[in-house]
Amino acid sequence: MDTFVEQFPVVINALNIGFLQTLKLFFVTLIGALPLGLIISFGSKSKFVPLKLLVRFIIWVVRGTPLMIQLLIIYYFPGLVFHNNVWGSNETGRFIATAIAFIINYSCYFSEIFRGGINGIPVGQDEAGLVLGMTKKEIFFKVKLLQMIKRILPPISNEILTLVKDTSLARIIALQEVIWAGQAFMKGSQGISGEIWPLFFTAIYYLIFNGILTVILGKLEQKLEYFK
Amino acid sequence: MKKFLSIVMIMVMAMSLAACGNSAKTSTTSNKESSVDDLKSVKDKGKLVVGITDFEPMDYKDESGKWIGFDADMAVKFAESLGVEVEFVEIEWDNKALELEAGSIDCVWNGMTLTDEVTSAMSCSNAYCNNAQIVILPKDKVDSYPDVESMKALNFAVEAGSAGEAQAKENGFNYTAVNNQASALMEVSAGTSDAAIIDSLMAAAMVGEGTSYENLTYTIGLNSEEYGVGFRKGSNLTEELNKFFKTCYDDGSMKEVASKYGVQAALAEQQ
Amino acid sequence: MSILDVSHISKSFGNTEVLKDICFSLEESEVLSIIGSSGSGKTTLLRCLNFLETPDSGTITVKSNKIFDAEDLDYLTDANKRKNRLHFGLVFQSFNLFPQYTALENVTLAKELAAKREDNFKENKKAILESIKQEGLDLLAQMGLSDRKDNYPHQLSGGQCQRVAIARALALKPDILCFDEPTSALDPELTGEVLKVIKELAETKMTMIIVTHEMSFAKEVSDKVIFMDDGYVLESGTPDEVFNHPKEDRTIQFLSSFNK
Repeated sequence: MDTFVEQFPVVINALNIGFLQTLKLFFVTLIGALPLGLIISFGSKSKFVPLKLLVRFIIWVVRGTPLMIQLLIIYYFPGLVFHNNVWGSNETGRFIATAIAFIINYSCYFSEIFRGGINGIPVGQDEAGLVLGMTKKEIFFKVKLLQMIKRILPPISNEILTLVKDTSLARIIALQEVIWAGQAFMKGSQGISGEIWPLFFTAIYYLIFNGILTVILGKLEQKLEYFK
Repeated sequence: MKKFLSIVMIMVMAMSLAACGNSAKTSTTSNKESSVDDLKSVKDKGKLVVGITDFEPMDYKDESGKWIGFDADMAVKFAESLGVEVEFVEIEWDNKALELEAGSIDCVWNGMTLTDEVTSAMSCSNAYCNNAQIVILPKDKVDSYPDVESMKALNFAVEAGSAGEAQAKENGFNYTAVNNQASALMEVSAGTSDAAIIDSLMAAAMVGEGTSYENLTYTIGLNSEEYGVGFRKGSNLTEELNKFFKTCYDDGSMKEVASKYGVQAALAEQQ
Repeated sequence: MSILDVSHISKSFGNTEVLKDICFSLEESEVLSIIGSSGSGKTTLLRCLNFLETPDSGTITVKSNKIFDAEDLDYLTDANKRKNRLHFGLVFQSFNLFPQYTALENVTLAKELAAKREDNFKENKKAILESIKQEGLDLLAQMGLSDRKDNYPHQLSGGQCQRVAIARALALKPDILCFDEPTSALDPELTGEVLKVIKELAETKMTMIIVTHEMSFAKEVSDKVIFMDDGYVLESGTPDEVFNHPKEDRTIQFLSSFNK
């Protein structure tokens, strides 16, 4: 396996498997963190002061520490402190631990964006809904939600593109995502050793995927331009 | 990276103490002193979880994706002797002690050099392979740097926390710690570092004709060192493995496996 | 029998007493104008009637039903508030239209949501929605906005927005329609079209309470005028009484500032 032509399919196959893991982590994080972020943003606005303080404290801790440390803590803490490795050793266990760390981390970031988005909607929208006899739930879902989405879409898009790249942090607890897969060929894997190019080639994966996301998010923003 | 990890460890420990108060403290100490019956727990769960990295010729995948290599084959044999299955788990090498302590793996069996750092963090088996840390240079520079003295003018790249880094320190080289041996080679190849220090076993597979690093070559050896297998501190599996190694060495089966992967010359005698 | 009886309403924000012992009543089909300088409590009074603020004391009675009693706040559940505030409609100074809905959707949204809350909605879904839409179209026609039904608020002028807002308030068929300075946010040349619509509503015998700075309009359209100052109802009566024969010095002073 000396020539590039021989190596290419083997490397691409390995990178595809790694990138599948990257994608899985990306989507699971989004699906978990968007709704959880909304719930947390309500918590951080709660009129019940102890809840509000607790939620704000958690947000402060999560946003104030590196995601990498959070990954290490979530995966290793149960084993180190309670002598009970709840996650298991294999890839599935590592993935679940990673996904939980990512969902917690990103939902805190999202919650702050949501909070800003909700606070930015004029109070007159609430009042107009109230005097028209709408319930609070109806006012949120039928009146404010879409206005909020329009406001938060640009900062959320930023976070989403960052998330794609942040998935590479998962390798700290040996989740075998695409960069891990690329790096394996530097040390030696599947008969290919000392190859540098697969590592750099992973950048293409990120670039293409982020390109697709940029187009989709841009389309979405455009779609919401029909009102001001 | 090493500094960063020690900070992580300190934080993890500090937070675990804060979280658990005295109970955590006592259990950590007891871990160090009294023995841990890993033999029983491995037999109970019916498998031995072996922490590895993709590291030819010790642990690597064959075409079908099965883990093979000198270490992998020996680990399979050892698990067989215990009557359990073996499960290989790829780990981040920097976190090997964390993985052991957290119980996500039972041993580190991956051409691990027995440095002071390793032996103080784990319970280690007897050495089963001899190895050396050697200097890698671009071919065109070899003649200009014949000895350690002349090499002091160079900037080295070494794997963080590796035996190579220990050698760089000992010889007073200027060095940058990178995250694995392959990265160290890439540094030299890219010209961002002048030289690298890596394992001789690894160098044989990765440097010279027919690799990405045809322009590099290995020169002098800085030391001789030994490979061993790491278990949790106080684990009774260490003793079990030492006995197993002795048996395999005596009946020639260890040499047989070593020959398969071209490392028979490096085998260490088992007492 | 009065359609509305407001009795001894007071309201404070922190240490500032904004409404002090407000009492007045209104007969069906009457138009009441509330005048007074900024900060006299006019807007707060309207907001109390619409349950956007909760008075500290007093009662509010609509069609012989006591819908608010400061002594009985347990009654003030979210559901009861929702039910009772529908006696009133409120048109805001700054319109507060829903930006993501068209003019027609702004008018029909609340009605549709109310219909969906009913048990029999599913069976007659199509017919119910169709009739709500038709009512919305009629209201927009009444406001002279038929050709604007599919426009979004940002595509409409201020005067058009305010007319949509009036149609939106009328859609729920309130007993009493309240206006909170409906022309204050408009360019002077656009106030006419809104005042014209309000005048037309008065002709249809709609009961209305109008907080306004348009004195000549108030004089022309009202059956009754209240002058508020510093949280009190200082003077009340027919437009002729209040505008032409004010009894209080403060009223004379206030009115003269408009005649300069």
